[in-house]
Formats: sequence, C-alpha cells, structure tokens
Amino acid sequence: MNIIKVDGLSFGYSEVEVLRKLSFEVESSSFLAVAGPNGAGKSTLIRLLCRELRPKSGSIRIDSAAIESYTARDLARKVAVVRQEFVPVFGFTVTEVVAMARSPYLDTFAFESRTDREIIAEALEMTETAKFASRTLSQLSGGERQRVFIARALAQDTPVILLDEPTSFLDLKHQVGIYDLLKKMQLEKGKTIVVVTHDINLAGRYCDQCLLIGGADGEKNCFIGKPEDVLAPERIERIFDVKVAVGKAGRKKIIIPLGKFADSVTDTDADLTSTE
Amino acid sequence: MKELLTVKKLTARIAVAIVLLVLVMCVCSLVGTQRISLSAVFAGGHSQQTVNTDYEIFVHVRLPRILLACVVGAALAYAGVVFQGLLRNPLADPYILGISSGAGLGVMIAVMSGYSWTLWGRSPITVFAFAGALLTVWLVWLIGRFTGRANMTGLLLAGVVVNAFFSAVIMFLTSVVKSDQLHSTIFWLMGNMTEESFFVLWVCGGCVLAGIVVLFCISGRLNLISLGEDEATSMGVNTVRTRTIAFAAAAGITAIAVSLSGLIGFVGLIVPHGVRLIFGPDHRQLLPLSAITGSAMLVIADTFARVVVAPAQLPVGVVTAITGGPIFLLLLTRYARKSGLLNK
Repeated sequence: MNIIKVDGLSFGYSEVEVLRKLSFEVESSSFLAVAGPNGAGKSTLIRLLCRELRPKSGSIRIDSAAIESYTARDLARKVAVVRQEFVPVFGFTVTEVVAMARSPYLDTFAFESRTDREIIAEALEMTETAKFASRTLSQLSGGERQRVFIARALAQDTPVILLDEPTSFLDLKHQVGIYDLLKKMQLEKGKTIVVVTHDINLAGRYCDQCLLIGGADGEKNCFIGKPEDVLAPERIERIFDVKVAVGKAGRKKIIIPLGKFADSVTDTDADLTSTE
Repeated sequence: MKELLTVKKLTARIAVAIVLLVLVMCVCSLVGTQRISLSAVFAGGHSQQTVNTDYEIFVHVRLPRILLACVVGAALAYAGVVFQGLLRNPLADPYILGISSGAGLGVMIAVMSGYSWTLWGRSPITVFAFAGALLTVWLVWLIGRFTGRANMTGLLLAGVVVNAFFSAVIMFLTSVVKSDQLHSTIFWLMGNMTEESFFVLWVCGGCVLAGIVVLFCISGRLNLISLGEDEATSMGVNTVRTRTIAFAAAAGITAIAVSLSGLIGFVGLIVPHGVRLIFGPDHRQLLPLSAITGSAMLVIADTFARVVVAPAQLPVGVVTAITGGPIFLLLLTRYARKSGLLNK
C-alpha cells in the first residue's frame, strides 16, 4: 500500500521554481532517501509533505486522503517531522520535549495519561535517550539532541516520519547510529521513513528506495527506484555537476566526489577497497 | 517519568502558593504608618456608635490597595510569561510591544487636555492610558504582520521602534508642558498605586481573571509554540489562532494593569524568570505560579512603598526596580547552572 502519493507536484518561492512536476509514491513501512544538489528542493519537499508549505500545483495524498483534507491535529497524527537539531530557548528537559509529541492526542488543556506516559517511556527507551531524560537539551551533544527529536517523532505515534538532514552535524559513529535507529524503527515499528540527506553512500545502504531530484531545466528531474539503480555514477556526475570516483564496499557501490586537486583517482573504476 | 507534571503535583503547588499569598496579604495589610489590630477590624464598622478607625483604614485604605497590587502583579507576571514564550525571547517583558510608551503617550495627552471630566470617579488618565496601550499594540502587531506572518523578529523590532518613537514624543511633550501638570505624569511613569474604588477593582480584576483563564486553557500549546512555530504546527497546533488569542489576551491584561497603576517595571521580567528557574518552563505550571508570585511580590513592594519614607509615599515602580534587580541576579546565579540557561 502507498502511504504517500505525490502527483505532478510543483512549487516555487515567488518567481524561482524549485520543484517541477514531481511524481512518486512511497510504500507503507519503507525507507526512502531523498538526495539531490543544494537548492534542488529537498527540504522544500519535506515542508510540503508536512503542509508547512502549500503546493503551487499538483497533489499530495497521505494515507489515501488529500493532505489539504486533514485538520492540523489529524495531520499531526499521520506525519511527524524531525528538523535539524536545535537548542530550544527555554530549558525544557528531554522528557518534557518528548512528551510534547502527545499534544495531538490531548484535549486543549490536559495532562499526559498513563498510556501517554508509557508511549513516552518507550520512545525514550528505544532511542537510548532514557539515561539523560531529566537533563535539559542544552546539556546534550548534537548527536544526543538529534536522538531526542527522533524520540519525539516516535512518541508522536505517526505512520510517517520525515527527517531533514538528521546527520549533517554528526560524527561518523553518530551518523551510523542515527541510521541504525531509523532502520530499527522501520523494521520493528513499521514506520515509513523519509530522510533527506547529502550522504548518498550511507543512505544508499539503509534505504529501500532512493529519490534523486535536481538537474537542469528541460531534463528529467526526478528519479526514483532502488538506490543502486538511481545513484548511477554518470547520473550523479550530471545532476551534481561533479566528477566522481566509484568503488566498492562489500557488495554495494560507493561514490566519492573528486575536486580539482584530487590526485590520481580520476578513473571511474578507481580501486577503492573496503575494510569489510 | 517523575519529572513530568501531573494534575496532583500542579494542584498541590498552586494550593501552597495561594496559602503563601494570602499570608503575605494578611501581614502586609497590618503593616503601615497607622498600627491597626485585627480584632478591631473583625469587630466591624457599624457595631459601635463611635467610628471604628481600624476598620475604616483596613477596609477603605489598605484592602483596596492590596487587592489592586494583587491584580496588577498577577497581570504583569502572567503577561510576561506569555510574551517571553510567544517571542521565544527570555528578555521579553509585558512592555516589549510598545504598551508602556503607548500608555504613557495617552497619559500625556490626558494631562495636557487638562482633564475636567471623570469616568466612574476616575480621571481620564486611566482611560487614555488603556486606549493608548491597546492602540499601540495593535499598531505594532500590524507592522509585524507586514514584515511576515511568522516573523517574530519583525514584531520585536516593530515594538522596539514604536517604543523608541513614542518615548521621544513623550520627552518632547514633557519639555513643552507646564510644570504643574507634570507631577502626576511623572508619578504615573514611575508606576504608582493609589486606593481604588471596589467597583473599579472588581471590573478590572474580573477582566484580568478572564484573560488569565483563557491563557491557562491554551498553556499546553504555548509550550509547543515556545519551542518554535514550525515545531508547533507539525505537532498539530493551529499556531496562527493560538498566537492571536495569546497576544490579544496578554496585551489586554497588560493594558489593564498599566492603566490602573502606571509603568511598574521588573515584575513582568523577574517573576517569570524566577519561577521558570525553579519550576521549569512548562507553561501549564509556569503561568499560574507566576501569577501568584507576581501578586505576592507587588503586594510586598507596595507595602515598602507605603512605609519606607512615611508619611510620604514612594512610587511602587521605584521599589520593584531597586529590589528586583538584585533578587533576579541572586536567582540567576543560584539556578542558572542547574537549568542550563547559560551554557548554550
């Protein structure tokens, strides 16, 4: 079943067109990575999918209903968003931030019920944030904070979780940690994960499908499919406008961009070996 | 999970706070230049042929003033919490959107017009201050909207600019106005309490209470908005509606407070901060506790204002400013590390 269905979606900020006639579908309980150059509209796509922006034309269906037909509360029960991590102005604790995710299920003025508390505790447990649950967000590292926001998305109990570059400021270990967590949420909880990323190698190893957007006007600007098909070196070179070297890590291809001063590895069959 | 707020915990804390507030009010009502005894007050005013002075002072002088301090303190502290949350700026106070200078300009105009009429037995200062405050907030809100719907920085800057401009106009008017008209204006600008009629107290107190109830009902959503507008939207909050209600209610109760007692500074800044440092930023708890603390703080400050230079009286705004600063610093140094306010 397709939980997200996007058809002929276009969007532009004033005169600049960002997304042009985008069409794709996301199967329920699957993992989609969205890649593309800066300014191609990846973050815009996320903001459209959570109705922070309204499309110029085209349609978005979430769980087989038009996105416009949802009330704010109902949409918040379908789609959770994890933006780039930040420190809130006021010193909310980890538990308090995660507890806020229960708001679409609470009355106007209400306190979290026993069930809500169980869901919050479970989200903290699964994301391994329970051990610093009573600390404020300013007392955490970037990686820990990002896990808190993921825990919040989990506690929001939605079938779909959208993530906008969740690993951009994290070190290698925490990058992999976040992807492991997202995969676990997909497999154990049946979540549909949509993650915008620049790290095509890492995302390619975790996602079921990859959506590549961008490319010059007039050309085909949207490719979706299995990551090994979509992330073809020639296409990456064309869309990102950069030379790449391709190697293998295990059975999967990895792609490395080459700058002007990159030495010797100019051939696309560069002999990169894996430590696996 | 023990740190999450529960109904039981909140009710208990509010109950304790109210008991403390009533205690403060009782003690403060007995303090003053004229010593009065509670037993004489309870004897009532009409039981004897002679006039019961203690009763008269308590009911017609001390009580209205203490109730007024309660209403104003609650309104200012409450509005401070709401503005800080909405603007996501811990330095915001109830006057940040130009309410103070707008009301001040209203007062200047009232004084210059040489008031000859009264409303409910009050000089037009109150009415002009109220109108000036609301008109200014409305103006700032319009300018803020013009710079972008969800743009809090635009709104803040609009407030700062309008505040500065109106303050300049007030300065100009101060320099041209005849000096015998100035005294009441200056006292008003410093924040001054006078004895109000019970009718005015009931009307204004009722309006402030209504605003407090409305804001308390949306306090859960204020939590989300204080995290960020986008965050709140994606967690199911109708941010435009919530923000509009919150701004209107907070501006309304601030305007009432200002028109009753002039510009009393620091209460709306320190009380929310202090309560947040001790009890955390959850608005469901922060709002009621701030209102009660604000009341208590202003009752105490006004008692000082009555007593310190007796038989003369200080403007209460002077007392809050002089005592508020050091209290705030004390709180900040004691709790900042614990709450992580400074280590960003």
